[in-house]
Amino acid sequence: MIRKKTDLLVIGAGLSGIMAAAAAARAGKKVMLVAGGEGVLGLTSGCIDLWGYRIDRKDEFCPGPREEIARLVKVSPGHPYAVAQDALEESIDFFLAICGEKGCSYRDNGGGNWILPTSLGTVRPTYLAPDGMAVNLTGFGRIVVVGFTELKDFFPGMLVANLTRNTDLTPGCELVSCMVSAGGKEMGPNTLAHRLEQPGVIQRVAAGIKKFVYPDTLILLPPVMGEDLHRDIMNTLSGELGCLAREVTGMPPALPGQRLHKALLGYIKDRGVEIVAGCTVKSAMVSNQHCRWVTASGAGSTMQILAGAFVLATGSFLGGGLQALPGKLRESIFDLPVETYGPEWSSADFLSTGGQPFSRFGIKVNNLLQPVDKKGYPLLENLLVAGSILAGCNYPVEKCGGGVALSTGYKAGRLAGGMTCE
Amino acid sequence: MRTERTQVVVIGGGATGTGIIRDLALRGIAGIMVEQGDLAHGTSSRFHGLLHSGARYAVKDMEAARECIKENRILRRIAPTCIEPIGGLFVQLPGDDPGYTGRWAEACAQAGINAEETEPDQVIKSNPVLSRNIIRAFRVPDCAVDGFRVLWGNAASARRHGAKIITYTGVTAIHQNSGSITRVDLTNRLTGQVTRVQCQAVINAAGAWAGAVASLAGIPVEVIKDKGTLVAFNHRIVNTVINRLRPPGDGDILVPHGAVAIFGTTSATVDDPGCSEPLQREVLELIRLGKELVPEMESRLLRAFSGVRPLYKRGGEARGRWVSRNFALLDHRELDGLAGFYSIVGGKFTTFRLMAEKTVDLVARQLGVNSLCRTAEDPLTIAVPEDLVSRGKRVFGVPGAKMAAQRLGESFSRVMEEVGRFPEKGRLICECELVSQAEIEQVASSEDVYNLGDIRRKTRMGMGTCQGTFCGLRTLGILGDHPRFTGDHHLQLKNFMQKRWKGIRPVLWGQQIREAQLSVAIYGALLGMERMK
Repeated sequence: MIRKKTDLLVIGAGLSGIMAAAAAARAGKKVMLVAGGEGVLGLTSGCIDLWGYRIDRKDEFCPGPREEIARLVKVSPGHPYAVAQDALEESIDFFLAICGEKGCSYRDNGGGNWILPTSLGTVRPTYLAPDGMAVNLTGFGRIVVVGFTELKDFFPGMLVANLTRNTDLTPGCELVSCMVSAGGKEMGPNTLAHRLEQPGVIQRVAAGIKKFVYPDTLILLPPVMGEDLHRDIMNTLSGELGCLAREVTGMPPALPGQRLHKALLGYIKDRGVEIVAGCTVKSAMVSNQHCRWVTASGAGSTMQILAGAFVLATGSFLGGGLQALPGKLRESIFDLPVETYGPEWSSADFLSTGGQPFSRFGIKVNNLLQPVDKKGYPLLENLLVAGSILAGCNYPVEKCGGGVALSTGYKAGRLAGGMTCE
Repeated sequence: MRTERTQVVVIGGGATGTGIIRDLALRGIAGIMVEQGDLAHGTSSRFHGLLHSGARYAVKDMEAARECIKENRILRRIAPTCIEPIGGLFVQLPGDDPGYTGRWAEACAQAGINAEETEPDQVIKSNPVLSRNIIRAFRVPDCAVDGFRVLWGNAASARRHGAKIITYTGVTAIHQNSGSITRVDLTNRLTGQVTRVQCQAVINAAGAWAGAVASLAGIPVEVIKDKGTLVAFNHRIVNTVINRLRPPGDGDILVPHGAVAIFGTTSATVDDPGCSEPLQREVLELIRLGKELVPEMESRLLRAFSGVRPLYKRGGEARGRWVSRNFALLDHRELDGLAGFYSIVGGKFTTFRLMAEKTVDLVARQLGVNSLCRTAEDPLTIAVPEDLVSRGKRVFGVPGAKMAAQRLGESFSRVMEEVGRFPEKGRLICECELVSQAEIEQVASSEDVYNLGDIRRKTRMGMGTCQGTFCGLRTLGILGDHPRFTGDHHLQLKNFMQKRWKGIRPVLWGQQIREAQLSVAIYGALLGMERMK
């Protein structure tokens, strides 16, 4: 049995967990981060959604996500934003600073949302987009959607067929699809991204697109345009073609989320956070309403980690933070009560603007992000909960997953940074 | 409006209806078969996929048992590519009446079903998910059968012999004149096109819908609609069919099938013949029953599905399982004074061919046709030549080529040609069921494929772990040039995912809720499809 001791232990390597670790590390705390898996950032769009649609008219884009969130917390006090709205601005600034420092910069759209295209030809509202994705679709006379013959999950024809139906483009804007080859057999997104970084490849790709490019053209590409050399590749492509090129959101796994994950991990490593990967926290030792230590295991060894404070950022069902059996729900480590808001777990419609009830399942917390019982009393004083394991958020339809992760993660890190190890 | 003329119109594209149209065609009788949805969308694909040995019925219904073992042998001979001859076991667990075991073994012997006792230890060793408490076990010649393939085999064979098969078309009227059938009116459900078919005979093989069809001719046929819910496991958890050795009841059959295994069933009388929505309480009841057989039942469920068994009611207060599983052939000339109208009701998948034979015997006699039934001898499916499969292995790998060859039959050669011309079309679109782009394009170009669900039934695309989350979208993507799939991506995808969702909802726990959350995140958070226009 390996024993370790730290000021703060963060459990989970998703966006909220890393933000918590980053905030506490910046405050000078000794931080460890333990995670069973990679975290789900690599499966996400890589954009940061704050809030997408009007709360009273769910089919209408909200003009200002901040204002909409301010309204939301008044009408939905159970939403995670209600306990983390106070940290939202700071968390966004901090996030932008981290990304800037790690060369993975993001842009806002002057207070409103970006309306970005997806590989399906739909559009989705998001607040912060990586430089390589941020674009206003209006203002181009021609949009060329480029697919790679090697890639399975991106179909330019599908994007073209649906885009005009789903968003307003410049009147007369011409939509064209084309296929190019990076030279090779069928590849997954990561292999293709790597391939595009090889000398000369992006130039050959550009040559294949060139004939489709007129003045005023926007190039849309699958989210596979390089990993570490993403910025160079996009610059080369734009330079060769003399027009703007952007990645769109597509099926996972996708590179934008992975690049972000890498950048954020890089930041916390730089700040001295000790990362224990491939190690799942199985149980916790609790006394006197405090967590004393947790036991984690992985790769054949068991570890006991003592800490003054803990951040629970293990995600929902997908991340493994919540588990379900017929009629039974369980929080995986501390056996915290799971809020469900009613007897129905799912709704009959797979997709609707109301979303799936199970998306909202999770842990209820107070203003200090401590888990609470039914009456609102804290169950554990030095455990703070952040991210998608929190109850009350329906991120797939609200388009708020990024903002909730940033604000709750950051706030948990700040609060936990103020606690000391006994 | 179009008008056509034929000898016989067959209503219903399930096992019985396709069996009948094939039998008619092989006897040289002109026929049109009409089906309201896709072939095999109903009861004939919503069962265990068990080709009975007859042992299940031996005690209760000797006649049914004898029919089953006879048909079992015939189908193994004529349709080997549709059948996995994996054998079956009957296992007696604590609480099962030991006296029944004795009676059962005797009845099997009487029916001519070979039931050989085997060591419980051996059974557990080869099927480690089973309960350790097995007391006695017997081997029987049960098989797994692919209902889809049998139906397409019937349809393809019938078409080869001149029959016409129309899908997505409902019967809207049955006309008579002076006590004889004269015409049926058909309406295409996708286009609204109406066709009048003049005919001498109409065979109502509509299964759970038989009552509704008969009422179009003003005739009462009472069919008990018995809904059965089943669950599919994510893995092939056993290698042989497993039956409980006790009187037939709920939750007592487990059948491995390709990469999955299916367990069922429940039994409940319903009003709606199209009632195919499995409920969580039905699944939980199945799990409760199934745990006796497979203790870790709930851990690996992929989805649930329901079918409606049509049980014929012959007077009395017979309900659900206690109605005879034997079929009834109704000549409505004798019963109701309408010549040329017949209903075939009840029965079970295993005996579909026999049901078709008896029906066509009667109809042929009244049409004055003397030719004999050939369906017990003529091969139903044509096996793909070994050398072609071998070449396929180099493109699709060993399991991929075998599975594609079995699914496609004759069309496999066209898929191979296509891959020869365009090697990139050999790539897999559905990784779970090993379905290639070339196969999907081949199937999508056939005349009775209109939507992603039709492709799913014919290729198994979307039936694996992702339940269509990845391969559904991909299929739509590669069919970009295909006229039937270019129009409305939103509707195609939404309908497809919605149908998949119907089966996932009742088993939303364990790994399945994680898969579901990923799926909802992809289509919601990533693609914003809930607001797609």
